[in-house]
Amino acid sequence: MASFFFGLLIAAANAAWQERILQNEEDKFNNLARQMLPDANSFETAVENIEVDTGKGKKKLTSVKKALATDGTCIGWAFKCEGSGFADKIKLILVVDAGFQQLKGFGVLASYETPGIGDQIKLPYYRNQFIGAPAEKLILSKIGDPEKIDSEIVAISKATISSQAVVDIVNNFLPQIKDYIVTKGLIGNGG
Amino acid sequence: MADNSDITSGIYKDTLLAGLWRENPVFRLLLGMCPTLAVTAAVKPAFTMGCCVIFVLVCSNIVVSLMRNLLKPHLRILMFTLTIATFVTIADLFLKAFQPAMSEALGPYVPLIIVNCIIICRAEACASKNGLVISIIDAVGMGIGFTMALCILASVREILATGAIFEIQILASQREGGWFVPWVAMSMPVGAFITLGLLLGLINFVTKKR
Repeated sequence: MASFFFGLLIAAANAAWQERILQNEEDKFNNLARQMLPDANSFETAVENIEVDTGKGKKKLTSVKKALATDGTCIGWAFKCEGSGFADKIKLILVVDAGFQQLKGFGVLASYETPGIGDQIKLPYYRNQFIGAPAEKLILSKIGDPEKIDSEIVAISKATISSQAVVDIVNNFLPQIKDYIVTKGLIGNGG
Repeated sequence: MADNSDITSGIYKDTLLAGLWRENPVFRLLLGMCPTLAVTAAVKPAFTMGCCVIFVLVCSNIVVSLMRNLLKPHLRILMFTLTIATFVTIADLFLKAFQPAMSEALGPYVPLIIVNCIIICRAEACASKNGLVISIIDAVGMGIGFTMALCILASVREILATGAIFEIQILASQREGGWFVPWVAMSMPVGAFITLGLLLGLINFVTKKR
């Protein structure tokens, strides 16, 4: 009897707020993605539930959204990706250009990295290195010029594990999503 | 008659004030240490956590008090957990719907209120043995006491770590032309343990002096 009553209470709360919760998640995704694609007018789900191998035999489902300009042309793609960081999972939004040739950057959806150290992955010093980088395998280096935009990402001092985690997430998700999108004929083969 | 009402109001006042100082869940009973250490890096999440605990504590005490005569002894812990889990789920959904940023900042610590000792302790020690009014007063007093303790701890940590309180900058850092040097360790778990230890020592010292 009590279980039934409590179940009803939770179901009522869920029914009342579920729409708003989903809308909040959608808004957060769109706002973050729009920071990297300011010309995007809207984001439309292009493919749902792509299975991505995250290594160690684990698989993760993700959806890819198409960024549309005001005239309806596709100007990029955005998708959620995640992997293990130093403290916990790091969840990102990765944005690439329309041809999957160049990264437009990444946004941090959730991260519990050490304040002042690992959480510097959210700061421009690190994030800006991904803007314009080629959409291919990235390499983390401990020394180098962070202003030089190429496939070499310079690690944050004292936060190599968090820096490596972001690079690994990109390296893991990007080729798999790209293959899927190309196979489905949503873009050219990028050659 | 007048004596009876005086005694009753005295009991209510005593119950309310017990949670604030004499039986403060954090500083005197050392209950609910997990959120106390985990969410006090800044005042905003600490205050939000406190409000969630007040909501869960009041609602669960009301339900437990109302059904106390129906409870079979061997089922009571199960019923307490079920009751607490329901209100924690509602609080979690509410935060996700209306305070999504705060919900993310608090992460798993809102669902973890289910295993917060303060709530099960008040259900067992007070609500399952007392009437509705005294259970509500006890929940409010304990909840406010818990929130107050969290906010004191968070204020110390936030100001030393960032020079701000409630995200309002009050100490200018050297980078901004001031003298303040942010003490990053204060926003990390080590800062929580040190601050809690010092505050507990201070409170013990004050209590013994009195």
